[in-house]
Amino acid sequence: MKIVTANRLSDGRVIYADASGDPVGALDQAGRFDGDAADLALSQAALRPATFVNPYLVEVDGGRPSGRDRFKELIRSQGPTVGNSLERP
Amino acid sequence: MYRYDEFDTAVVRERIEEFRDQVSRRVSGGLTEDEFKPLRLMNGVYLQLHAYMLRVAVPYGTMNSGQMRRLARIARVYDKGYGHFTTRTNIQYNWPALSDVPAILSELAEVEMHAIQTSGNCIRNVTTDVFAGCADDEIEDPRPWCEILRQWSTIHPEFSFLPRKFKIAVIAAPKDRAAMRTHDVGLQLIRGEDGETAFRVFVGGGQGRIPHIAQEIAPAVPGRDLLAYLTAILRAWNLLGRRDNIHKARIKILVASLGIDAFREEVERHFATLRREDLRVPDEEVARIRAYFAPPPFADLPRTSGAFDRASLADPDFARFARNNVRRHRQPGYATLIISLKPQGGVPGDITADQMDLVADLAERFSFDEVRAAYEQNLVLPHVRLDDTPEIWRRLAEAGLATPNADLVTDIIACPGLDYCSLANARSIPVAQALSEQLADLDYQERLGPIRVNMSGCINACGHHHVGHIGVLGVDRKGEEYYQITVGGSADEQAALGEIVGRSLAADEVAPAVGRALDRYLEVRREGETFLQTVRRLGADPFRDAIYGAFNAVA
Repeated sequence: MKIVTANRLSDGRVIYADASGDPVGALDQAGRFDGDAADLALSQAALRPATFVNPYLVEVDGGRPSGRDRFKELIRSQGPTVGNSLERP
Repeated sequence: MYRYDEFDTAVVRERIEEFRDQVSRRVSGGLTEDEFKPLRLMNGVYLQLHAYMLRVAVPYGTMNSGQMRRLARIARVYDKGYGHFTTRTNIQYNWPALSDVPAILSELAEVEMHAIQTSGNCIRNVTTDVFAGCADDEIEDPRPWCEILRQWSTIHPEFSFLPRKFKIAVIAAPKDRAAMRTHDVGLQLIRGEDGETAFRVFVGGGQGRIPHIAQEIAPAVPGRDLLAYLTAILRAWNLLGRRDNIHKARIKILVASLGIDAFREEVERHFATLRREDLRVPDEEVARIRAYFAPPPFADLPRTSGAFDRASLADPDFARFARNNVRRHRQPGYATLIISLKPQGGVPGDITADQMDLVADLAERFSFDEVRAAYEQNLVLPHVRLDDTPEIWRRLAEAGLATPNADLVTDIIACPGLDYCSLANARSIPVAQALSEQLADLDYQERLGPIRVNMSGCINACGHHHVGHIGVLGVDRKGEEYYQITVGGSADEQAALGEIVGRSLAADEVAPAVGRALDRYLEVRREGETFLQTVRRLGADPFRDAIYGAFNAVA
């Protein structure tokens, strides 16, 4: 399964496309797509450049990022693991 | 310090309005992301993992208290209450909204700051010795020349679309405190045969995936010809440098492929064709800029300070701070004070808005309204009275800014790594924190003496791992974080690249492995020998054995 992710144009925050293609902030709200449906969801996100910046597909397994960039995608979904940002949501 | 003239003010204001319009067109769909990206980069705006990142230039690392307070305000109003100082003496904000950036730039302009050319394929913020104007080995203050370079290179039409970024560092002492030879061009100010200012010019330094130490291309370029000579260097590279491969576009690759002698011939060929008189900075203009950097009105003080001596005797904590973070100043009775941004277990280079406000207050009251950003991701109060150092220390300590570890092993340089950076392969900050915690014993750190540990979260080497006495490079191994260790690197006047000592280690193995290498150093060093001197005498083998011996024993 795959999800569509990007950064939001206005503030750069990590967003995902939900099942309807609308932006959501949480990975667990992301729509999960198979095969051609994933490519279609990606192309639909690309058609909304005022919201989705640089959209791409991420493999997920059981709702968590999988594949080679799984750790990077986990950090993207949860925020920095350490540091000053943690104390200031 | 330098104050904007009408031209500076106009350039910065016009640039903000231009960028405001570009942001507006991007939001309205008039510009695609591909079109917008190079425009935002030229204004210091990156898009990172979680948000935009704004990199603000601190030209040659010099700020006044008003500027520092404004940086604090921006952190508080537009970000998450903190900023991050980098090895190129910039400050980065990790969470600004794109829609707020024009307002942030306007706020910066009010205090004569900007983010122009802090990214993109152009000439970046010029850096220098953090002890400029303080060090007693300095020939003359290098900052007027940095300012001349800033003015010359800002929105320079010929050099705004270079093959890649281009970084210049200037030093004015035999001791290199600016990692000068890791730059595309390094300038060492010297006294020419005619007694006038001249520059020893180095070219082709850089880190990244193919690191090079800059090589000398000219032994003594007269100051009056500096801009012409730099124009010739940039023109040669601009014409011959590769644009087909981002990894081979830096000038270091061209210099290495042609050889320094052939590249010098190219540069001299261009130099001969330039109308040098057009690029000569008028003497009166040099004098005008120099005047901005005239020494502050120092008081006539005795060389020693009773207050300093009494505090050192009475309070071991102050004494330790004085040993490690207070440096000799060329003016009797004064000192240069390093504010470490490396608290135990902290994030290297991070500083909160409240801390910035405190530093601004201290600079205003005690350091002729001046504070510096250092290559090592620390801050410096350049001109403080020895008499005042106990009070400054107390106030720093109350704010968590008095870590007495300048140049010691926990004064770690580290990039933001995979916690923030879209290019990173691995995290840097947690590994730096683990090492900082493991080596927290300050007696042990002082026993080790000066050791620079540098960490990068990817091969782009923003954490300067290649030139760390101990370098740590995060790599990706099938989706897992691993770390490669080097020893023997150096960013000083004997600049050298570190040697990779073996296979990469898992994250939790790094701090113990570095600890073993440090213990080995204590075993094998000679009297008075620094870590780097020991590595240079013995090579990497003893440290390799220490790092991997534990694994080999298990195997």
